[in-house]
Amino acid sequence: MKKIITAMLEFFISLRTAVWLLCGLIFFLFAGGFIMPAHEEFQALHTTPLFTWLGDNAPGVTWWLYGSLIVLSLVAANTLICSIEALIKKKSARAWLLVISPQIIHAGFLFILLAHLLSSYDSFQGMAMAREGEQLSLPGGITMAVDRIHTVMDPRGFIREWAAEVRCSGGGQPAAGGMIRPNEPLFHGGLGLYIKTVKVEPYPLALIQVSRDPGALYALIGGIFFLIGICTLLLLKIRRESPQD
Amino acid sequence: MESLPVWAALLSSFLYLAGYRKIAPVYAGLACHGGAMAYRGLQIGRLPIIGPHDTLFFMSLSIAFFAVAITYKQTNRLRLLYPMLLLAVLFTGLSLAYPPHDSPLPPILKTFWFESHVALSFFSYALFGIAAVLGGLYLIRQDPQVEVLQYKAILVGYCFFSAAMIFGGIWAFYAWGTYWLWTPKELFTVILWLHYSLYLHARLRPAWAGKPAVLLGIFGFAIVMFTYLGVSLFMKSSHSF
Repeated sequence: MKKIITAMLEFFISLRTAVWLLCGLIFFLFAGGFIMPAHEEFQALHTTPLFTWLGDNAPGVTWWLYGSLIVLSLVAANTLICSIEALIKKKSARAWLLVISPQIIHAGFLFILLAHLLSSYDSFQGMAMAREGEQLSLPGGITMAVDRIHTVMDPRGFIREWAAEVRCSGGGQPAAGGMIRPNEPLFHGGLGLYIKTVKVEPYPLALIQVSRDPGALYALIGGIFFLIGICTLLLLKIRRESPQD
Repeated sequence: MESLPVWAALLSSFLYLAGYRKIAPVYAGLACHGGAMAYRGLQIGRLPIIGPHDTLFFMSLSIAFFAVAITYKQTNRLRLLYPMLLLAVLFTGLSLAYPPHDSPLPPILKTFWFESHVALSFFSYALFGIAAVLGGLYLIRQDPQVEVLQYKAILVGYCFFSAAMIFGGIWAFYAWGTYWLWTPKELFTVILWLHYSLYLHARLRPAWAGKPAVLLGIFGFAIVMFTYLGVSLFMKSSHSF
């Protein structure tokens, strides 16, 4: 048993493992990059959590995603074990920042993986058209009222800018309201409320998108870790690096 | 006056080509190139980074700028710089083959996160292009200093590219309600990011150091070009031209 654990640890600590796992992951994603545009089934992935979607579709279309998930699990284990080993082994190293910065990058990467895992289980997206004064019932017992739709037309008669005044209540949250515009959603009870587009004829109508992305915060934390780590590594390595032979 | 940026682009390319023996025409070309970009921005009232015409031109300017910066203080500077400038001239030529996109931006693109996402992406593409040129020079000259320069270009490019991906994710969250979209462009972007992650890890292994890592650095630019032009032109995606 001890031998098996030692062999597994040696496998996961190895940089060679990381290199070949990355090669494997690139292979699966590369295959997916050509399979995805050829199959209409992938359109549903925009509105369905990945793990639900995987269960609904044939392995002929999804095999590369299963392959990627398996390799990503191994990459995550490899990253975690390598980072722990580096921190234990080199805790007394003089160039402490040089040791710690790749581990900050690894932590960022693991947060981003966690974000994708959470989003793959429990994300949600829905759309509905709403008139001025109409109320929409949203998940979690939330009600959204569209009070007013604003548009700005350009000289050629096209709608150049649009916005909507909305109010939200329910879902165990205090009532909230405000103006939503492209890139300026309203967040209420874990949901994001977005205005996608509007129509003015025959009456003002807004296309409202409702989204929940439980991984978003972890992706942001991961991104911040990743950037801090890579910038520190860059500053330290750019001057130290010299020819290898 | 509308064709001024085109003439300035042609003049900058001519000056780069004239910089074979002296650095002065290269600086003049860079000033002219930057001026053309600024004038185009003033013409359309925004950062000119939409569509193949403007993005290829922005990439060409980024290549020239980083080429001048990265070769600063290098011995035999012009021998390193000139092939990179040829790459910049190639992209200027390609940009002129496409019509400019002059229409106003849709509201979804009017945000700092979008502009920084695109600008950082093209900074990284430019550095990956420079790294590919340096890789080619290493294969010809076998100079270890050139290999180190390739590594530095990739490391800086990787830093910009990571920031571009993170900024793109923030923009996507504010625009579409999710930081990740299942489209070929996003997938190839991740492949590109993984490829350079592979380069940075593989270069640490004795078996991959030297020529194999240099070849990875060259091949990476082929993925850049496919991700940027191939996917945008031929596959349905959130980034289609």
